[in-house]
Amino acid sequence: MNQIREQVQVSVDQSGQPVGFTWRGGNYLVSDQPIRWFSRRDWWLEASRVPKGVGPGVFEVEIWRILASEAKAKHQLQFEFSHDLDPNSGRWQLIQVID
Amino acid sequence: MNAFNHLHVASAFSAHFGVTRPELLVEAAVAMGFDALAITDRNGLYGAVKHIGACVHFGIDPIVGVDLEVFDSGAPQGQITLLSHGRKDGQGWRVLCSAISLAQHKDKKKPQIGIEKTELARLLANGGATVLLGARSNLGQLALSSDRSAFTQCLNAWVSLLPTRGTLAVEIVSHITEPGTEFSNGQAKRMLDLADSMRVPCVLTNAVRYLSPDDAITADVLDSARHLEPLGLFKPQPNAQAWLKPSNEMQRLAIEICGSRARAAELIETTARLVDRCRLDPASDCDWGRPKTPEKALLGIEGNPFEVLWQKAHDGIERYYPKANRALLDQVRHRLGQELITVNKLGFATYFLTVADVAQMIRDMGIRSQARGSGAGSLLNYLIGISGVDPIEHDLLFERFLSTERTSLPDIDIDVESARRHDIYRSVFKRYGSNRVTLLSMQSTYRGRGAMRDSGLALGLDDDQIDDIAKNMWRFSARSFRGALATKPELSRFAAEVENDRRMNLLVDITERLDRLPRHISMHPCGVILGNSNLLELTPVEASGMGLPMSQFDKDDMDPMGFLKLDILGVRMQSAMAYAVRETRRVSGKNIDLDNIPRDDAATFRDIRTTNTLGIFQIESPGQRELTGKHQPTEFNDLTIQISLFRPGPMKGNMIAPYLDGRHGFATPDYIHPDLEPILRETYGVVIFHEHVIRILHKMTGCGLAKADELRRSLEKPRVKPQIEKFFKTEATARGYSKDVVEKVWSVIEGFSSFGFCKAHGAAFALPTYQSAWLKTHYPTEFMAGLFTHDPGMYPKRLLLAEARRLGVRILPIDVNKSTNEYLVEPAPRKTVEHSIIKTEESDIGIRMALSDVQGISQPEIERIIAEQPFADLPDFYLRAKPSRRTLESLALVGALDSLAENNQGGRLISRGDILARVRQLNALKAKVRNLDNQTALDFSVIDSMPTGNPEMSKSERAQNEFTLTKLDVSEHLIESFRPMLDEMGVVRSNELVGLRSKTEVLVAGVRVATQTPPMRSGKRVVFLTLDDGFGCSDATFFDEAQKRSSQVLFNNRLLLIAGKTRRTGVNGVSIMAENAWDLRALWSQWISSKTESRSA
Repeated sequence: MNQIREQVQVSVDQSGQPVGFTWRGGNYLVSDQPIRWFSRRDWWLEASRVPKGVGPGVFEVEIWRILASEAKAKHQLQFEFSHDLDPNSGRWQLIQVID
Repeated sequence: MNAFNHLHVASAFSAHFGVTRPELLVEAAVAMGFDALAITDRNGLYGAVKHIGACVHFGIDPIVGVDLEVFDSGAPQGQITLLSHGRKDGQGWRVLCSAISLAQHKDKKKPQIGIEKTELARLLANGGATVLLGARSNLGQLALSSDRSAFTQCLNAWVSLLPTRGTLAVEIVSHITEPGTEFSNGQAKRMLDLADSMRVPCVLTNAVRYLSPDDAITADVLDSARHLEPLGLFKPQPNAQAWLKPSNEMQRLAIEICGSRARAAELIETTARLVDRCRLDPASDCDWGRPKTPEKALLGIEGNPFEVLWQKAHDGIERYYPKANRALLDQVRHRLGQELITVNKLGFATYFLTVADVAQMIRDMGIRSQARGSGAGSLLNYLIGISGVDPIEHDLLFERFLSTERTSLPDIDIDVESARRHDIYRSVFKRYGSNRVTLLSMQSTYRGRGAMRDSGLALGLDDDQIDDIAKNMWRFSARSFRGALATKPELSRFAAEVENDRRMNLLVDITERLDRLPRHISMHPCGVILGNSNLLELTPVEASGMGLPMSQFDKDDMDPMGFLKLDILGVRMQSAMAYAVRETRRVSGKNIDLDNIPRDDAATFRDIRTTNTLGIFQIESPGQRELTGKHQPTEFNDLTIQISLFRPGPMKGNMIAPYLDGRHGFATPDYIHPDLEPILRETYGVVIFHEHVIRILHKMTGCGLAKADELRRSLEKPRVKPQIEKFFKTEATARGYSKDVVEKVWSVIEGFSSFGFCKAHGAAFALPTYQSAWLKTHYPTEFMAGLFTHDPGMYPKRLLLAEARRLGVRILPIDVNKSTNEYLVEPAPRKTVEHSIIKTEESDIGIRMALSDVQGISQPEIERIIAEQPFADLPDFYLRAKPSRRTLESLALVGALDSLAENNQGGRLISRGDILARVRQLNALKAKVRNLDNQTALDFSVIDSMPTGNPEMSKSERAQNEFTLTKLDVSEHLIESFRPMLDEMGVVRSNELVGLRSKTEVLVAGVRVATQTPPMRSGKRVVFLTLDDGFGCSDATFFDEAQKRSSQVLFNNRLLLIAGKTRRTGVNGVSIMAENAWDLRALWSQWISSKTESRSA
């Protein structure tokens, strides 16, 4: 198991579900139905302002657990991504890889 | 698919959990297209009435339930939601109320709030409500474990516990949290599958705790306040999904959980069926809006209540108008007839008889009482003994109090002696039975300082830092915190920190978020609910601070629920006056009938006009003292007017200056039209009272007084105002008033009505004002003793002490042979007055200071001293009163033992130093005896005689001891220790101010006794500070610039020096326009060090 914090380009389908991504030079394809849940941030350590209506992304973050393999390889890995809910950022971060 | 509705929603009335007020949730639900909405607060129905009211208003069906902990023989079994069924003639509502009242009852077997499983089963044996087992139930928790059989057994146990059809359902809820945790899809799915296999119905909810995802931040802060720990130190909520999701999101969520469209559709359908079952009909389920009073038999009534009331009122005419002439009697009979017709039409006869019964009960207990509020406008109230104010004499209107235009139960407030309030509550419970009576509750809400303290806690900020800022939060709501930073000078330092410190910036944001949220429930200071024998089936109750049961509903819930609420308010002034009357009778045998003293006593008004009104009810504040100086009241009605003028409304409406100008002849009153002169003559043409507006509207439109009051009330609603304007102008013009007059009168009514004050309130307040002033004038010693004992006013006791000295009242020091826990009046031989500033005739009675003033003395010690009095000598006191060593020494230091020493020394001169030496011997002995463990073996021969020759304490030493040990400067004023510096600086004494010319530059010093920021018409803040320097009070006014200059001390320091210019405000009034203020102690240390420097130089 690997704790990582890397920004990754992820491509998604119409419903926003990841279908593939590029990581460390490899192209990965999602091979199974991913699992998604919502996690939270410690906004009191990170945010500079939290007025009412501060907008999405300050509090919550989407987490995706994905089984994927490199285009030509058969070996599957489990990835966990965090997806920033602020539409202005929309950043995907790889946070964990389990072999 | 069927439409979805939410069944599980916590409102802000789930204290420190829910975030959104019920009204807001309902409004949002309507906007989202829901046709029903539930409220399910934790442990109670605190928000239920507001929820139902909002649902009725918006036309959707209310659903009500509660979240409760469940116990099995005291062992916690998780949380359930109990939902009341509707349209069952109140069966569900009764189950809900009983379950909550039982859950709230704590005892040894069940020390926490929650309901026993067996009780729940008993309550649900015949149906009436549904238990939801959700994520936080024991079933939900087992869904997360791997123990499959325990999981199955758990649901089995619930099914056999609640066999009645429709009383059990499994709640499917997911906040889409991490797999394997609470509120995850997996947990929901496992519960769904188990329930399906056992054919237990499932319903979908979102276990809502806030309106929108944004509110999750507020929920975090509330969690922190509940845990009493900063964020990060406890397990926080998993995410921000617990919001009121719209129907389509919930449908999507159902599919996500179930994994199949078909099962999801079925889930939504079962949910809709339970929703339908729970739709309440407020009228038949909660007896919504129907007035309820105790049964006739309890009031001792036979036959028709209205006939009984009629007879009782007419009996009162003879009693209250014994010497009335024909014309007055006609007037009384006519008016009473009118009032009775209204009461009969409204069907309120039993209500009036109930209130009269309570009032009589209070009088029978020998407790002073007085009706207050608009009820004083009713002749009926006067004649049946509820109110003590004659509405005919004072020209008050019944229609302001009650009319057929309104159907809600009227408010009657009774002021009683505060010290006896709880006795009265207990008697009410006893008289009407505890099934018909509960206390009223109130929700305290987050305001500025509280909101900031809890926000600071959440962010883990330093306590002192928070305290420092909180101290400077003065008169603005937390909601406008950020705005205040820019405009309030005392916050300037904090504003700078906010710019540089991220956490301070967050502090401001979350403080604003907490504003107005309910914080905790407590006993309402005066409300008692009186109902019939069904009361406890309509309201849940819990224990109040004083032990008696308290309804979970607050005062705004009374009208919708049709509950009769009596306000029995404890007023310390009533206790103080009762005490003065009792002491007079005890010491001199004289009986004072305060309620029947002449109301035109010249001496009383002369004393009021000096503006030395400290201790007098309602007119002792700095602002009222200034107004007294300008107004110079000469009769009772003047007091009514003055009290009414000094209210936020009339002050904002700028009514004071024109009234005073008219009164003093500086301006000719403008009555606009001769018809209005009789109405406005008493106030020189200024519209002050609600009664004025009512009479003008009636006079110029002929609409009747009752209708006129309705028009007046509607004036405050901008939407209705144009209609009223049109009605008034058309009708008045039709009656021949000129366009000019109509326009002018309308502009007055429009501009002033919302600022006015109810004259009946003013008159009811004026009575104790006059009574206390009369006592202060004629029985100053007894009255001041009453003030000391019951501490009714806004000022510290040491200021009252200064006032007593000023009046020439004898202050007798604490004496263990004579002092008690009260301030007794005591015969005392005359001697010359040392400390009185204004020489007055020496009295032959004095006030004995109380033992309770000695710091650190315990209640049992006081009780022992009182029980064992008198004492022969020191050892006798020591043995029988058994004081602690510290208390004994304190008593010696303040001179409380002086009389004991005199006793055994046969006239020989004993110094306080000698007594102290003796006390120390005794204390040493005690230490020795304790070692021997034999209290009776005291050998007094060792210390048989009093030690003599110890030096006497100096006057300032005595004063210092006194102040340290009693916090009262009995012999010398606090400020005197700064006198050398003050004299050098040329600081003026407060009693010299009145002799100075206007605009003289002055310095004044003193102890802060009051700080006020009354509302101003301009909206600009003005700060009034009052200082006491032992010679009286000086009042200083701080405007913008001065507030900026003195911002660091303005709200903080106790001892102050103020620079400013004098301003004459009236015949006997001078105030200071402040320019700056400084901390007196800081100046003192600078002054001292400059002295030492100059000496060493």
